This record gives sequence, C-alpha cells and structure tokens, in this order.
Amino acid sequence: MNSREQAATRRGAPARWWRAHRWALGQSLLRLRERPLGTALTVAVMGLALALPLSFYLVQINLDRLGQALGTQQALNVFLKQDQTQAQAEALARTLRADPAVAAVTLKSPAAGLSELAALQGFGPALAALPDNPLPWVLVLRPRATAVPAAVRALATRLRGNGAVALVQDQGPLRARMDALTGFGRRVMQVLGALLALAAVLVVGASVRSDIQSRVDEIHVLQLVGASAAFVRRPYLYAGFWLGLLSGAVAVIVVLLLELALAAPAAQLDASWGGRLGFAALRATPLFVLLACAAMLGWLGARVASARHLAAGAPN
Amino acid sequence: MLCGLVQDQDDVPVIRFEQVSKRYPGNANALEALSFALAPAEMAFVTGHSGAGKSTLLKLIGLLERPSHGAVTVAGRNLAQMRQRGIAQHRRMIGMVFQDHHLLLDRSVQANVELPLVVAGMPAEERAKRARAALEKVGLGGMERRLPVRLSTGEQQRVGIARAIVARPAVLLADEPTGNLDPQLAVEIMGLFAEFQAIGTTVLVATHDLVLIKRIRKRVLVLDHGRLVDDVPATEVAA
Repeated sequence: MNSREQAATRRGAPARWWRAHRWALGQSLLRLRERPLGTALTVAVMGLALALPLSFYLVQINLDRLGQALGTQQALNVFLKQDQTQAQAEALARTLRADPAVAAVTLKSPAAGLSELAALQGFGPALAALPDNPLPWVLVLRPRATAVPAAVRALATRLRGNGAVALVQDQGPLRARMDALTGFGRRVMQVLGALLALAAVLVVGASVRSDIQSRVDEIHVLQLVGASAAFVRRPYLYAGFWLGLLSGAVAVIVVLLLELALAAPAAQLDASWGGRLGFAALRATPLFVLLACAAMLGWLGARVASARHLAAGAPN
Repeated sequence: MLCGLVQDQDDVPVIRFEQVSKRYPGNANALEALSFALAPAEMAFVTGHSGAGKSTLLKLIGLLERPSHGAVTVAGRNLAQMRQRGIAQHRRMIGMVFQDHHLLLDRSVQANVELPLVVAGMPAEERAKRARAALEKVGLGGMERRLPVRLSTGEQQRVGIARAIVARPAVLLADEPTGNLDPQLAVEIMGLFAEFQAIGTTVLVATHDLVLIKRIRKRVLVLDHGRLVDDVPATEVAA
C-alpha cells in the first residue's frame, strides 16, 4: 500500500469498526432467534436467579422501614413523675437540649399520650371511661447520630438519678438487636446475591459454550478468511449481553408481579397499624441498576466462555 | 487494489520457502527441506501424487500449519514470528480455495461469498456488488439467494472460488480447485486465475491434473514424498 492508501485505510477505520459491530450485533440477534427454546430457557433460569436478590432487596428496605416505624430508633423515653407540671417538664427539656449527646427533645403531654394510646391500641372507649388522665409528661430524647452508645447509656443513668424522673426507657439495646438482625439479613442477601450472580454468569457461559460448539465450522471459516479473534468473539459477547438484558427484564417483571401480589395484604397490614408502616415499592433506580448488572453479567459469562472455547478451537 | 501487499518491489519474492520441513506427529516428513520462491504476479502449479505434500505446502502459506524447520516468508514477513493479530491480517491478503469447500451450509451463496468482505469491514452495498460480480465470474450469476446444499458439488466448489477471489487477494492459493468441475469449466476457472495473475495476484494451485497443467502452461513445482524434485518454468512446460 502506498502512503495515500494507508491514509485512506486509517480514515476508514471507525466506519469499519462500526460496521463490524453492527454485523456482530445482527448475528447475535439472529443466533438467539435461531434457538428460541434454548434462549427462552436461559433467559427464564437467569431471570429467576436475578429476581431473588432483587426480592431480598425489596424485603430488606421494607424491614428497615418497619424497624423505624415500630419506634426502634435509638431514643430515650423519659417518663416524669405524676406531680411534675408542664413548666417543670419544659424546664427539664430545655436543660436536656443543651446536652451535647442530645439531638432533639420532644415534649409529650399526658393528653397527647392518652390520645395516642387510644388510637394505637383501640382502647378508646375504655380510656375515655377513666376519671383522670393517669399518664405523666414524657420527654422523648433523640441522641445525636454521632453519639456513641456509651454516652447515651450514661445519659440514661444520669436521668434515672434525677428526682423529677419516674422511669427512663432506653430503646438503644432493642435498636442494637434490630440493627444486628437487619445487618445479618443484609449480609445473607449480599452472599446469596453474589452466588446467584455467579450462577447467572455460568448459565450464560454454558449457553454460549453450546452455541460455540454448534458453530465450530462457521468459526473455522471466519478464521480462514482472516477474521481476528475479537471479530469471531464479538457476536457471542453481544449474545451474552442480550441474554443478560432479557434476563434482567424478566427479573424486574417477576419482582413487580411479586409487589403487585403483595400490595393488598401489605396495605391491610399497614392500615391495621394506622398507616405507620408505609411499605415501600422498588424505585426505578434499582430496577435500572439490575438491568445494567444483568447485561454486564451476561457479557462476562460470554467473555469467559468464548475466550476459553474459541482459543481451544482455533484452526492454527 | 490488492489486499495489503507491497506490489512495487518486483524483485522481492511474495512467497519464499527456505529449507522448509514439516513433520506431523508419528508420521514421516510431509515436506522435506523445501526451497523455492514465487515472484509477485506469478502463477504456478504444485503437482505430485497423493501425499506428496501439496496441501501441506499451501497450509503452511495460509498459516493453517507451522513448519517444523526452515522459514516461510510471505510478502517479506516470516510467518514463524507471526502472532494472533498478524495471522488474521495475513489471511486477509490470501484467498484460499479448499478441496472440501468450507462453505456455511445454512447461509446463502451470497452470504458465503461476502464473508471475507464482512471481515474486511466493507459497506453492505459494496459487498453485495462485489459478491455478485465474483459469482458472475465463476458462472453462478443469479444463484445468490440459494443455499449451498441446493447446489451440485461443482457449483459449491465455484462458490468457494468466488469467496476466495472476492476480496481481490494479493495471493491466491487453491487446493485441487477443479477436482469436481467438468474439463471445460476447469479451464475457465484456470483462465480466471490467470486473469487475477495478470492484475498482480500471485497464484499457487495444487493439482494432479496434468492435462490442465499442460493446457494452461505456467510454472510447475513437482513434489515427491515431500521433496521438490522438479521446478519447470512456464516456457518449458510441454503442450
């Protein structure tokens, strides 16, 4: 080639690259269409495998919300003695707000406590029959997020020694247990998610391997007419990508159907708790993340399988 | 334009074998201390009885085999030092016609012929145009949409030839390309190869058809048990 032809070849490189990819893309779709049953089975198996981690994620976010709704946030409920007046309660609240371990103090009057109790437990008529409100003033302390558990415990101890305080209810240990439980659940989800992702890679790898084995002659012919290893491999990578993407779509549909099936009982449960549970549905972001991850896993499975089996089958 | 070969250095052989031997495991030497060179735009026949090493010689040039000893040089490049990417580039400048066609039976005739152009990244319209022209040249015009399984063995062989010439390779290797063709068509195909030689392609044809060799009158390399026993210039080939 003379220098002019070499320059023309260089100028045409992006167009050739694009045409090679377009061809590979078309071939990959053709291959999936040529084996509809195999494609459907691969997509179904991989889709279900990917639906499980997404379902775990859905359960996890709702357990977190449930924990918060059930009042397990790290708070101190300080019940004052019956003889404490509103002014005394407000004075103590002001003092506590100045404490560096305290983020916020909410003052709950006996009347507010009574109506809350009536609404929660369904004891409205029974409580209405009481001659007097037996509930004391209550201070709800929310510790700072930066406060260490030991500082919160020390604060609770200090408050128990206060002459105006009848009872200090520290929800920290309950919260810690809840955190440990959800942490455990999160880790189980991560491990299962990783295993199922690996299973998805293996499923696509097996499918691509079978495709390569059925196309040995075609691969040889391509190599004989000068196809590079990348050129031969590309349709299989695209096929893996499509299998992953379709499987991701199946997983999303499965989880959305699961949400739909659980929507009515979840709404009933929520209503029975006065709407405090507020079950969450999956947002669009994790669904798109799953689609992207599934496509990437499909590509990865195809990459591993094609690298291994194409190298083994090269004519030279 | 021929594929990727320096054509302005007429004195540099396109193909050079230097003391090349090839031994398959457990067998005697398929080729033994073979040395010859082919100039640019030269056409030659390789002949000899079955097992003489004709196919092995072509496979070494196409990098389907590696020599056990010696050096095979094509277009100035020693094939022994060629890596994976280089092998693909090397094969793109070579057109190969095989005894057993190597066609994709589930693709149309045109798709088969277009394959080297697809690999070269040529636009679809240009590919189709060139494939149709190549099929016309081998006498298969109008059969573009047929599947190879619907063709006779001779027609399949011609599809293989069309695929080999469609990218206008710098080197054309043909292993018994006329074995399945009737004598008249065989001469026409050889005439086609000669046309390619005339525009600068180096052509090497393995055949045991002595009648054809005498009729076409090109240089002849005679192999016997892997050895080059005769190298007859075109001018000395008896009619």
